[in-house]
Amino acid sequence: MRASLAPRSPAPTLLALGLALLALLASSGARADDAPARLVLWHAYGESEARGLERAVDAFEAREARAGRPVRVEVTAIPFGAYATKLQTAIPAGHGPDLFIDAHDRIATYVEAGLVRDYGALAPELASDFEPSLLEVLRYEGALFGVPLSVKSLVLYVNLDLAGDARLDRVEDFERLLDHRPEGVVPLAWEIDSAYAGAALFHAYGARYLDDEGRYALEGERAERALERMRALVSEGAVPEESSGELVRNLFRSGRAVGAVSGPWLAPDLPRELRWAVRPLPRIEAEGEDARLVPFSTIEAAFLVARAGQRDAAEPALARSLALFLAGREGALVRAREGGHVVASRAAWEDPSLAREARLRAFHDAAIEARPMPTHPHMSRVFGPVDRAIRKVLRGDLAPREALVEARHRFEDETRPPPPPRDPTWALVAVSSALLLVTLALARQITRAEVRAALARSLPAYAWIAHAFVVIVLLVVLPLAVGALASFFAGEGAELHYVGVANYVDILSARGGDLLGHGSFWVVLAVTVLWTVANVSLHVAIGLVLALLLSSPLLRLKALYRLLLILPWAVPSYVTALAWRGMFHRQLGAVNALLDVVGVPPVSWFAHFSTAFAANVATNVWLGFPFMMVVTLGALTAIPKDLYEAAEVDGAGPLEQFRSITLPLLRPALLPAVAMGAVWTFNMFNVVFLVSAGEPDGSTEILVSEAYRWAFTRGHQTGYAAAYAVLIFGILLLATRRSGAGARARRREVGA
Amino acid sequence: MTSLSIRHVEKKLGGAPILRGIDLDVRNGELVVLVGPSGCGKSTLLRTVAGLELPDAGAIHIGDRDVTRLAPRERDVGMVFQSYALYPHLTVRENLAFGLTLRREKKETIDARIAEVASTLGLEALLERYPRDMSGGQRQRVAMGRAIARRPSLFLFDEPLSNLDAALRAEVRVEIKRLHARLSATMLYVTHDQVEAMTLADRLVVLSGGVVEQVGPPLEVYARPKSRFVAGFLGSPAMNFVAVRREGDRLRAAGVSLEVPSSLETPTSLALGVRPHDVRVAREGDGSAALSLVVDVVEAMGFEAYAHGRLEGSEDAFVARLEGSAADRVEPGLRLALDVTHAHLFDEATGRSLGSVSPAGGEP
Repeated sequence: MRASLAPRSPAPTLLALGLALLALLASSGARADDAPARLVLWHAYGESEARGLERAVDAFEAREARAGRPVRVEVTAIPFGAYATKLQTAIPAGHGPDLFIDAHDRIATYVEAGLVRDYGALAPELASDFEPSLLEVLRYEGALFGVPLSVKSLVLYVNLDLAGDARLDRVEDFERLLDHRPEGVVPLAWEIDSAYAGAALFHAYGARYLDDEGRYALEGERAERALERMRALVSEGAVPEESSGELVRNLFRSGRAVGAVSGPWLAPDLPRELRWAVRPLPRIEAEGEDARLVPFSTIEAAFLVARAGQRDAAEPALARSLALFLAGREGALVRAREGGHVVASRAAWEDPSLAREARLRAFHDAAIEARPMPTHPHMSRVFGPVDRAIRKVLRGDLAPREALVEARHRFEDETRPPPPPRDPTWALVAVSSALLLVTLALARQITRAEVRAALARSLPAYAWIAHAFVVIVLLVVLPLAVGALASFFAGEGAELHYVGVANYVDILSARGGDLLGHGSFWVVLAVTVLWTVANVSLHVAIGLVLALLLSSPLLRLKALYRLLLILPWAVPSYVTALAWRGMFHRQLGAVNALLDVVGVPPVSWFAHFSTAFAANVATNVWLGFPFMMVVTLGALTAIPKDLYEAAEVDGAGPLEQFRSITLPLLRPALLPAVAMGAVWTFNMFNVVFLVSAGEPDGSTEILVSEAYRWAFTRGHQTGYAAAYAVLIFGILLLATRRSGAGARARRREVGA
Repeated sequence: MTSLSIRHVEKKLGGAPILRGIDLDVRNGELVVLVGPSGCGKSTLLRTVAGLELPDAGAIHIGDRDVTRLAPRERDVGMVFQSYALYPHLTVRENLAFGLTLRREKKETIDARIAEVASTLGLEALLERYPRDMSGGQRQRVAMGRAIARRPSLFLFDEPLSNLDAALRAEVRVEIKRLHARLSATMLYVTHDQVEAMTLADRLVVLSGGVVEQVGPPLEVYARPKSRFVAGFLGSPAMNFVAVRREGDRLRAAGVSLEVPSSLETPTSLALGVRPHDVRVAREGDGSAALSLVVDVVEAMGFEAYAHGRLEGSEDAFVARLEGSAADRVEPGLRLALDVTHAHLFDEATGRSLGSVSPAGGEP
């Protein structure tokens, strides 16, 4: 399992719900009295790691059977993206597992929600099998809530062919490679501008993200000098710019990086012919001393589910016994051998059968040296602000000190307490009286004889549309209503409370900040409007020009061109978006390569609002013009040819014919297409999220992607995000109603 | 003075010859009607004059300007389309003003011209309407108005009445005739309707297969068709053709004996053309050439009636016009008297007219 940084999307959640339903059905089968005891184990491993776990579970079952205590363990894999949500909903409802495997950094959440129970005291020989530091992070308020199964952290991958005899145990060694490296080879592929991977350097400088109370702590001279060092590494070229996990993977896989900073998850992706080795992260000269880059580590642990007298309580001792077996030497050996787990058990590593697993051992040693990810719930909210601070410094937009001050503000803004609860009585009274009035009005209507007669007449018709009505209510109306309702609430889980219109007030007042300041609703709205206008005008202009070219009688191979031009439309938009994102990379993208040919120096596309915005627009124009082209082509063929002839005889040249015949006659067909295109573009999440991802510094976010950030990456402020969504809905409703009225008026004027 | 002259114009469309060397002169103020069956090239000729098609060979002059290679807008012609081609997004006023605005006429000029055209065509009440809100006849008048408003030196009409119903067509036909008289404009008018052609034309041009068959005043063309094609095309019901046998110095056609005209040289395959109006029911003792018609259908029109059938001793269909009152007294074997002075003789091989015939003396 990787660190829990990936955003969660609703699709895996739905999938997980479906799986859970299946699991529930499977587990609720009748159980005979003499059947073996049953345990349910959940994990979110990928394929090969899951295999290791299952073999170890088999070994446990075999051991118990030999001891005359037959047990059956059901191992269920849950998609990673939905894992935490799934645990938090299934366990309180009594559908959860008996034990589950997860990263240690969510321990506080699980304990405080009462989902897990402690292990009590471990037998001394077992306790001494683990590094004390690992057990330490699995304790919460003194009690042990998990046993460590495996450890993971970032390590240094070295391409042995490229490295040659170079000593590469210091960052400075990589910097020296700059002078004599092959063309196109990066010394060290490192996602240095992400708070997760960049943490190693902050740690080397003695800086940290949060203090023990979960307050923002990344400031002061050490942190600033760490940022300076990062900037130096990138600007001199030792580390690539605009890095991402994907870029690190690709560079190293394709032999274009001497070293790479990545986790054990990179290893299975490497081609067989690549000669590589794993080492601890390099050392670095920091604050005048020789320091080691210390990454965050993640400890995967087995947690026991607390079941407060729910279901058919299987012996709690059995689950604990399985957990200890998996963590201990015997289970660990199976997991390491069969599934490549970087196991935590020290005894396992002394076993001769693991002696030859040099890479696995290297992953382990690096992780033991690493710093366990802090478990404070605020940890997940510090990454976003720190990411931005690093990027701003790397681009030279801000000095380190200002960047860190800004990160603190942002962190505090995102972790601010939810608005205080309000008394919902007033709102309830208002809503229920409105409902009452509506009901009364309806009742009065129905008592009228002619209405009743009309109703009776159309009753069969209502029966025919009933199923569609039900589906629309379930899939459209209900979610809309729930979303709108959610916008009046704040807080999570048990702390959910009614806050009145506080979310709206916060949004519209920019949370008390500058109305035209960074991230204010009004600024994002302005960007969104600009985005929509720019895209739709280009869509129409390009679509129109291409349609005119395609409809020209002189053009040959029309069918071929038409196919090629519709192609961008047929490719899934996220694929296109990812491709364009790659093309706009500063060092490795195709766009800069083309510019280089004509002598234009490389552009950092995502470093400035204008260029990042242009990159987004380019992508979305690529995606959007075929629709306008097809609509225009259709409308063009509907214009009678003799109108052009009449105009020609009347004295109109080609331009005048276009202006006074083509354009006015295209308008009735284009107006609805433009309205529709505007709505799509206004809500074009994919492109903004995948291409610029809001870079630089969130300035290219549009309203939907901003709402997404609040819902999923800024600590699940769902009520706040829902209020955003309601505002978007309102804006679009107003806009389309107005343009719809305009279009209708013009259609009356032009005729069908 | 010649307002339009067309010289040796040839045109192929998609490889097929449509116009095969057309020569035509239209005098100033004259209304010339191009008539012919579908595919004879009359519309193509009109479009070539308008400049919407360019000829492959030949030359076109309007006035004394060579316009052969000019774009339509440089030719100073006004055209009325079969579909009217009114601009659907413009009002009647804007439709009328379209060409004038493009020529950057002054606003007062445009307004004055529109008022004039509107009063000429009775469009005053329609000026602010859109084409879709008008009837076919109204649209047709607007289409004419649009052509008139610009005062072109040549008007072109491409089957302007074919989308109207019969009653309206007759009405507008008269209106066009009046309009022509009032404007004394040069007009080239294309139609496949021979009634329009006969009633409107100062001169008639009958086209067939991309060549001019005959040019002349309508009555002359009707009375003296130069070919069997022209004879058959003009007149309704169409002229009857009866196969002719040669017997010595006489011609026999289904019981009629004729003298060989002096113009007839080599004996060839011949046909006798008789218009349905040129026969009458034979009376007792009627000595002139008599035909016997085996009638199968009688169309009674009131004022007149048409008897359809076959001539005795012939395979050719034959139509005879009768008095309206005779319709219910028609017997299967109808004796008809033929006034041969109105009959035409045609060379079956070339289709050329051999002129009128005179009756042979005495009984056959």
